Amino acid sequence: MSKELNLWLDDLLKDIKIIQFKRKNSRRVRIDIAPEALPALLELLQGRASYVHLSAITCVDWIEDDEFELVYHVWSYETNSLVSAHTRISRDPGVYLSVYDLYTPAAFFERDIHEMFGLYFEGSPDMEKFILTEWNGPPPMRKDFDSEAFVNQTFSWEEYHPQWLKDIEAEGGGITTRPEDVR
Amino acid sequence: MRPENYEAIKQPPSNEFELNFGPNHPGIEGNYAFRVKLNGDEVLSARADAGYLHRGFEKLMEGRLWIQNIALVPRICVPDPVPMEVCYSLAIEELCGLEIPERAMWLRVMQLEMSRLAAHLFAFGGHAATTGMYTPMFWGVADRDLILDRFEELTGGRVYSIYNIPGGVRRDMPDGFLDRLGTLLDYLDSRLPDYDSLFFRNQVFIKRARDVGAMTQEQALKWGVTGPNLRATGLAFDVRRDDPYLVYDKIDFDIVTEPGGDALSRNLVRRAELKQSIRILRQIIKHLPSVKGAVRCPIPNPLAWNVPAGETYTRVESSKGELAYYVVSNGGDKPYRVHVRGPSSMHAVQVLEKLAVGSRLEDVAQIMFSLDACPPEVDR
Repeated sequence: MSKELNLWLDDLLKDIKIIQFKRKNSRRVRIDIAPEALPALLELLQGRASYVHLSAITCVDWIEDDEFELVYHVWSYETNSLVSAHTRISRDPGVYLSVYDLYTPAAFFERDIHEMFGLYFEGSPDMEKFILTEWNGPPPMRKDFDSEAFVNQTFSWEEYHPQWLKDIEAEGGGITTRPEDVR
Repeated sequence: MRPENYEAIKQPPSNEFELNFGPNHPGIEGNYAFRVKLNGDEVLSARADAGYLHRGFEKLMEGRLWIQNIALVPRICVPDPVPMEVCYSLAIEELCGLEIPERAMWLRVMQLEMSRLAAHLFAFGGHAATTGMYTPMFWGVADRDLILDRFEELTGGRVYSIYNIPGGVRRDMPDGFLDRLGTLLDYLDSRLPDYDSLFFRNQVFIKRARDVGAMTQEQALKWGVTGPNLRATGLAFDVRRDDPYLVYDKIDFDIVTEPGGDALSRNLVRRAELKQSIRILRQIIKHLPSVKGAVRCPIPNPLAWNVPAGETYTRVESSKGELAYYVVSNGGDKPYRVHVRGPSSMHAVQVLEKLAVGSRLEDVAQIMFSLDACPPEVDR
């Protein structure tokens, strides 16, 4: 049964012009689709082809193309295959549609992407901060956020040399640091 | 003495109050918190509050070499670290088109099942503690320690083994390892009846856990529940069988289901999976000596390793459910993007928020442990 349904998917999708269909192996299918058609595709996959499990939504920041790539991984318990639907949206203003009405788990992933990439999902039930509750800087998973530069700007390097260590060193012990290791 | 313009705020009388449950609470699993709204001891709503364990793994990985991240990934889930290493390694192998030797596959499956045993012992031990029974917890932790001894012998590390690398495993087993593993399995097998009479058939536990945190199969599918929690609602689905990786298609094991969907069923599924893992490990002990050859295929210089551009989504069955890595390479020496889909990112947030409503306060911790939620997978 699984094989037949899979082939049916091939037939179904090969006639639609706006999508690119690529079969990686018998269990993995990659679909590239325009952003305006993606919710319709997911609805089709869920309603007609039993892809009921949203495994994950991933966001990739392609900063050179000035685009975000969103990947929706949906799994079918009947045909045991995974469809990864890729779509690209502009980084600015970075707004897209929520698929919460189709897949409940989307709420978590959309909230996470909003927090980490600053991408807003219209219609998502919950866009409140979750992990980075005390963070006011730019979304940290964007490629233009440089963690090391941020650390150097925000914190100052301190020599750790407490009195008890000085006492030990006065007696000839302690930590020896090579001159080239001193920052 | 009240000021002249004093006016009391008018509001209807209410018995509701909010309680911060965690992050520093003996009944909660790791550094994780809930804001629960209560009426008496009945939970009206629960709101997950994560972030106490956020170490920015996904961002850190983008700044390190492919091979360096092997030391990073097991830290995403402390009780069950091996699936993390294996899943990440599988992703790189798929991107590079590496074919790993068969012996390495068997060694990986062996560790995966050892890790599953250790994680399940930890999980139901923790559950027992939330219902006031501390003996199963001590027993579970003590027996888990014996598995960690075998990990130490095999890999050098007790908790984070960092043994699976892209291309295979780091080195072969020590002499006589399988005999000692077999002795351990005999011991664990002999302990299962003790666990049954102490915990799984204990009326105290059964009465506490029955119908607590119950969900139907339909709800579980809708909410993205996976792993033992999904099997506890009656659906026989396991990534090991239905999306096989490594050599699971050559191994004989059953997928255990329970119909209830409540905390009791979830624990009974874990109990039965202990038996299945022991069964798988016995097959491995029998079969592994006949698989000869290398444990690692040749890989490029790991410090100057440019993984070909591409993307892949690899999935494994961890002890908590479906674990997946989405890895993107742009042809460089570091990953362009790594996304970790931990099973607990569903269980500990949305599912728990829904299941806690209507339960009593003392059951919140129990529901969390019965879902085997692992907060570091949420925070990443």
